[in-house]
Formats: sequence, structure tokens, C-alpha cells
Amino acid sequence: MTAIETDGLTKRYGHDVYAVDDLSLTVEEGEVFGFLGPNGSGKSTTIDVLMDYVRPTTGTARVLGYDAQEDAEAIHQRVGILPDGYHLYDRLSGRKHVEYAIRLKDTDDDPDEILQRVGLTSEAAARAAGTYSKGMSQRLALGMALVGDPDLLILDEPSSGLDPDGIRDIRELTLEHAANGGTVFFSSHILSQVEAVCDRVGILNQGRLVAVDSIDGLRDAVGAGTTITVTVDTPPTDLSLGDVDGVTGATVDGSQIAVTCTEPAAKLVVLDRIRATDSRILDFDTQRSSLEDLFSAYTHPPAAESVTEGRR
Amino acid sequence: MSWGVIASKEFEDAVRSRLLWGVVAFVTVMVSVTFLVPLIVPALDTGVLSALGGASEFASLLVPIVSLVAAYLAIAGERESGSLRLLLGLEPSRWAVVVGKFLGRSAVVVVGLATGFVLAGVVAWAIYGSVPLAAFAGVVALTAALGVSFVGIAIGISAATATRARAMTIGIGVYLALSLLWDLVPQGAYLAAFGEAPAQTVPSWFVFLQGASPSGAYSALVMNVIHAVEPSYPTATAGIGGPVPFFVEWWSFAAILVVWTIVPVLVGGYVFGRADLN
Repeated sequence: MTAIETDGLTKRYGHDVYAVDDLSLTVEEGEVFGFLGPNGSGKSTTIDVLMDYVRPTTGTARVLGYDAQEDAEAIHQRVGILPDGYHLYDRLSGRKHVEYAIRLKDTDDDPDEILQRVGLTSEAAARAAGTYSKGMSQRLALGMALVGDPDLLILDEPSSGLDPDGIRDIRELTLEHAANGGTVFFSSHILSQVEAVCDRVGILNQGRLVAVDSIDGLRDAVGAGTTITVTVDTPPTDLSLGDVDGVTGATVDGSQIAVTCTEPAAKLVVLDRIRATDSRILDFDTQRSSLEDLFSAYTHPPAAESVTEGRR
Repeated sequence: MSWGVIASKEFEDAVRSRLLWGVVAFVTVMVSVTFLVPLIVPALDTGVLSALGGASEFASLLVPIVSLVAAYLAIAGERESGSLRLLLGLEPSRWAVVVGKFLGRSAVVVVGLATGFVLAGVVAWAIYGSVPLAAFAGVVALTAALGVSFVGIAIGISAATATRARAMTIGIGVYLALSLLWDLVPQGAYLAAFGEAPAQTVPSWFVFLQGASPSGAYSALVMNVIHAVEPSYPTATAGIGGPVPFFVEWWSFAAILVVWTIVPVLVGGYVFGRADLN
């Protein structure tokens, strides 16, 4: 069965502001799916539709086989949500928050067990939530999401405000949930966090889904290879690399020449070509393309990128 | 049954935040003071029933403020802060939220008003030596009903607005219109119909218009209750020359109060149910 399925999902504000634009996405049950995109790319709006906080302009969304708008009640019984932009009840203690969630969902969870799972001590849980740090709030909200042992966990920017310990805890809870057969929909603008836990990733940019694949698949899809950066004494005037096999791109920025190679052997050829010019090589460095480059390749169109390059 | 869970949390919150005690203290002091007024102003009738009537007149202006303050942020406040996102994540039914909030805040206002009135009743008993229990109980019940009515109005406003500021603006506007300035409606209509200010005898539609606001309906009902205990006390329809038509009977005013309670909740709930919450 599919955990999440959207079909042509569109949310428009006003006449021409598309928060989500024709999004068709399928997340299978048991998957840890990374929902990646820069801030404002429409991730939260998509989740808002799944949770029936907002209604789509057109298109449909189904969660665990139920229509997100028609069967919200059935969905919420089976889904735990850590929403973005939430606020705790300042006067209510952490423990009372979890108890409230248990009563609202009408489950028989043990509040202490939940608090322990998310790493809140009983002293912390006895305090009013208004005194909590961002990290503690995030742990508490995550605990509320775990109430009722949901089939699907939707985490919207779960790591925001967390220290490295907290980020590791979130990762472990996510993997634990998946190991028990649960599905996790993990939304983030930080690639490394998605990369660490997710089976598959969908990249959203300006409301549109620009890529869906496994991390490895994405790597291949972009043709990521190695970038060789060469520092020379004077910019070369007669350098041509277009005919070299395995070179996919080259930029010259003053005395820096950056060449992207997909074939390892191409690197030496590139160095030879530069030495053949009247420029002298002062230094060179090679760097594997990271997923971070890949992410920015998807979310910053080439047209925008060229502005940051060269001609100073 | 999550509306019950929400309602009981609302009530506990009001106890925790001392809102409930604020209501009790405020009502006790204000109502006690109105009980004292007939003693301080010698020209006034000093009977305890008149004092009760006076207290209710004052309550018709005071109770709406208590209810509006107690409930106008119930939903809009959570919506603006973002705690509504947690709540709706656990209970997606917007109606459960509206009904739970309405019941919880109503309980706060009813308990607060009743306790305040009873405490003020003790003050009245100390001053006058006796309190007409039936009339007093009737007035307390009606005051509680007026309180619930304005909680309904406040919840309706809170459900239909996205921000605290807007909820407050509309709340103040509604208070001015329904409590302070409502009398201008029958007066204006009379002036338009007859070209002069109302005389001793007024047409029945004038009495109906007076009682068409929650506070107006409450005042009319209070007069009827006190009249039932003490026949020399005027009824709401005393100014009508000739037969009294059905629409100014007591149950008509009771129906008006009920309508003012339920319709705002329904309208607010409808708007809230269709709203995008982001």
C-alpha cells in the first residue's frame, strides 16, 4: 500500500502565487522518504495539505489510502505529525502535553515512556513548556507525534533548533520507527540530514518536484564526478577542453580554472592541456562532487549560477 | 469525544491561568457594589428587589465584557501562535475544536459568574437582612445564560478570524453594537416611524427591538422573573398599551438569547472549517 500519494497537487494563493505546483508524488509504506528543498519551496504547504490544514486548489492527496480532505479523522488516527511553525502551550508542563495528546488520540500510551524515548527527563517534563529551549520543545513535539504508535510519521524540519545530540536522536528515532515497519516522511532543507536516514529523496523547488530518486540514483543522474581546480599565474588565452573525453564543464575565474570530470583519466589530460598553454601551474586540487553540489544544481538553475562565476 | 477532552483542558487552563479567579473576583466586587448603590443614593428605592434589578442592569453591560475577554482568543490566539497546528494534528475535526472551546469557556464563565453572584448575594444579605431566593436564583441563571450567549459570540469571532488583533477589534465592535449602543436601534426606529422620541406608551415592536440583542433579551427576562416574585415590579411589556402579542412573551426573549448563542458558533465554525490554516 502507498503511504502518501499526491496527484497533480496544486496550491495557489491569489492569482499567480503557486506554493505547490502540480505535485505528483508516491511514498511507499515502510520507506523513509526525504522531502528536500530550500525554504519556501512548498514542503510545508504540501504537508499542510496532507494534514488538512490547508485545502488544495486542484489535485488530490491520499494518505495511507485515505483522502486527505474527506477522511482526515481516519488519517490522523494513524499519522504522527511534527509540524513546522507550531507553538506549545506555555503554561502546560511537558508531561501534560503528552497526556493531552494521549487523551485526544484516545490511546493507552504511557506518557513517561514517550518522554523517555524523546530524551526528556522527568524534571524537564514537570516544567511548564514556556520555559523550554527550542531543542526541548522539538523533543516534546516529537513525543506528541509518537503518541498512538502511528503508521506514518511526518516530520517537518525536525532538526531545526536541535544540537548535534538532538539531531542524532531524531535520526535514531526515525530509523527505529522504520525498522518497526513504519513509514517516515522527513522534510528538511538540509541535505546531510536527509542523506543520513532516507531511502529515497524528492527534491522540491519553487513548488515543483524536480527530482525523485535514491541518493545513489541522484548522484548518477547529475553525472557527478570530480572537480579539478587549477591555479595558474596568468589566465590562459588559448585553452580548449571541449574535445576532451569525460570533461563535462569548465570555468575560468581569474587565475582559477575549475574543470568537472566524469572520467578519472580526464584529469591528467586537463593538466597536460593547461601546461601546453603559456600559463604556469602554481597549484591544483581535486574534489569529489558532493551531494550538496547536486542539491544546488537542482535548486539553483544554471542561469542563476553563472552570475556567481567569473568576470570580476 | 475529543470535544470533551478539549473542553476540560480549556477549563483546567482557565483555573491554571487564574482567569477563573479573575472572573469571580471581578463579578463579586462589581455586583456587590451595585447592591450598595440604592443605599448610597437616598432618592432610590431601597428594596432588595430593586437592588437585584439594578445589579442585573449593570450585569447586562458587564457580563458581555467578561465573556468576550474570556473567549475571544480561544481559537484565534492558538491559530496565531501555532499551537493550533499541534491540536489539529491530534484532532483534525475543526468542529470538535469549536464545540470543545465553546463548552470549556462557557463552563468557566458560568462557574465564575455564579460564584461571583453568590458571593455578592452574601454581601446583599448582610446589607438588606434578606435575599429573595427564587428571584435571586432566576437572575443568576439568566446571567449565566447571557454569559454563555456572549461566549458563543466570542467563539464565533475567534473561529472566524486569523489573528488576535482582528478578533479583538471585532469583539470590541460587537460589544459596542450589542450592549452599549443597541438602545439606539429601537429609539432610532421609533424616531423614523413617528418623528418624535418614544412616549410613555410604546408599540409592541419597540419592546421587541429593545429585547432583540442578547443584553436586551436578558433585561426583559430579568424583569419578568422579578415580576413573578413581586407583582408590583414592572414587566418588560409594561409600556405596551393594549394586548401583549406573542413575540414579546418571555419565551420569545428566551429564544432570542438561544439564537444569539448558537448562530455565532455555527457561523464561526463554518468559516473556520473552510479556512486554510498556515
